[in-house]
Amino acid sequence: MAEAIHKKLQSELEKYQQMQKDVSKSMSSRQKLEAQLTENNIVKEELALLDSQNTVYKLIGPVLVKQDLDEAKATVSKRLEYINGEIQRYESLLKEMERKSEQHREVLSSLQQEYQRAQGQAVGKV
Amino acid sequence: MASVHDQMAAAGKVKRSKDLPQGVERLKEEHRKVVKDCRSQIEHWKKVENDYESLQERLRTLPDKLSYDIMVPFGPLAFMPGKLVHTNELTVLLGDNWFAKCSAKQADALVEHRKKHVKNTLDDLQKVMKNFQNRADFTDDLEKLTGDTGDFVDIREEVINEEEVTKGKHRLAHKANSKPKQVYLLELEEDKEKKEGDDERTTGVLSEEELWARLDELERQEELQDERYRLDSTDTNGEDTTSSSEEEKEADGGSDVQVNGHQKENGWLPTSITSQMNGTNGSHPEDEEEEDCDEEAGNGLPTIYFSHTAEFKKVRINTGKNTTLKFSERNEQKAQAKRKKKSGKSNGHSPHESYKITSPADIYRVFVDLVNGEPIPRKSILKSRSRENSMCSDTSESSTADFEERRAAFGRSWSHDDATHSDTSDGITEEESPTGTSPRTNGRFEAFTGTVIEKDPLPCSIPHLTIAPPALPTIPERKLEEVGPEAPQEPPKRMSKFKATQLHQK
Repeated sequence: MAEAIHKKLQSELEKYQQMQKDVSKSMSSRQKLEAQLTENNIVKEELALLDSQNTVYKLIGPVLVKQDLDEAKATVSKRLEYINGEIQRYESLLKEMERKSEQHREVLSSLQQEYQRAQGQAVGKV
Repeated sequence: MASVHDQMAAAGKVKRSKDLPQGVERLKEEHRKVVKDCRSQIEHWKKVENDYESLQERLRTLPDKLSYDIMVPFGPLAFMPGKLVHTNELTVLLGDNWFAKCSAKQADALVEHRKKHVKNTLDDLQKVMKNFQNRADFTDDLEKLTGDTGDFVDIREEVINEEEVTKGKHRLAHKANSKPKQVYLLELEEDKEKKEGDDERTTGVLSEEELWARLDELERQEELQDERYRLDSTDTNGEDTTSSSEEEKEADGGSDVQVNGHQKENGWLPTSITSQMNGTNGSHPEDEEEEDCDEEAGNGLPTIYFSHTAEFKKVRINTGKNTTLKFSERNEQKAQAKRKKKSGKSNGHSPHESYKITSPADIYRVFVDLVNGEPIPRKSILKSRSRENSMCSDTSESSTADFEERRAAFGRSWSHDDATHSDTSDGITEEESPTGTSPRTNGRFEAFTGTVIEKDPLPCSIPHLTIAPPALPTIPERKLEEVGPEAPQEPPKRMSKFKATQLHQK
């Protein structure tokens, strides 16, 4: 009896750990997205400071490709929107994962209690 | 097995610290970590800012010359002489793989814009650091508090009855001349009511004879009440613990526990209180807060429990000294007396207690005697018909209110078996003073002898401390002196005064 519970406990624990890892991964990617968000905001503002006389380049691999100022502005705005959407997605994902990990935690605690009880009973029996 | 448990613990379970210190330690550690992080980040951003500054400098000087002779880095280890040309054309990285060609001045503007961002970040970090520093300090203080290592004392006021908090009546401005008239009016009305109640007379005006007769009657009633109060007051003085314990049983709340611990025998520090009173009385406090004794109240912290009293009445002796009496204390005594009666306690009545002043309430009684030629024995100490004649007159703003309250409380205390609150009694003054309202004097008011009597604050958040100011003793002393010889004759004296005035008038 105790053994079975013990096994169950182990499996639950592993699942929980996995969940935690996923959560942390999502967290880090979300943080990256946030950094990109701020950066693109700065780029947008700086582009606004420039006038059409300056040439704008985009680094694509080893190549600096000339871009139109307006085009650049549009591109940057689109990228900003994309980043925002990604962040939202990650947010919801994170919440979901949190909830699941919470459930797992509860399951684990109950299992642990059971296990302890079983152990106690086993000791008593013996 | 153990490993499983450890893993469990490590797997995000809340670390339950067995002792408080452990938790506090961890909290402090976390705080310190955050603060350190903030510091390092601030360092970093400061460096960035400095770099930008120097860059701006360079940008300003760069276009000065058409070309510069420089040593050009050539690989990681070598330099070679070269020229820096097109000094005004700069390719600026805007971020996220975007570049822009601009002049030095435009680049300068861009750098300026970036510096603004850096400054914002720096400010935020500073704020966070300060915040967490404060938190760390606070946890330090908290630890000290709970560890009783500091000088901190927790002062708590348990508000049992919220009604007590609002005492608007007490805040009446003191109008010197208005009150006597009011008193007169009230008295008459009271008399009228009583008359109508008792004799079923519908005459609005009482003849003088009737008035005197009525006053005599009231005087007799007051005598009875005085005796009862004396009885209760002595009980109160002698059996404060029991009464308070009774009251505690009546009322609920954790404060009771604390009060219990602070019975006047136990932790009550009369000396400290008196000293406190000395200080406070010298400054004519409006509200006095009493300190219960400092004791370890089980929470590891010296705790002082106090409760607000109604504002003090200032009893001014003509000498100019000011002393304060608690009005609500009187009420509380009345309430206590009532409660005692309710609880079926009947104590031996010591008739000779009339002149013994054991509580500030007694002063009122005493004071009454000092008021010369008062047709109505029960004058608020506050008020004297003739200010010159009275030994003491109340200068508190709330004397009228107090007067009414007293009357009401008085009446209520004897007519109703509810717990009397000074405030509640306020609201009921006129209607519900069927008995003994005009005779104000309560025998409970005894001159203060220097001992502090602790009152249970519970039923109506009544102040604990009865005043023991250094100033006060003078009054009671004087009163004692005066009352001493007078006291035995007090009841008869009042009568005699009455009679005297009566005869006088006749």
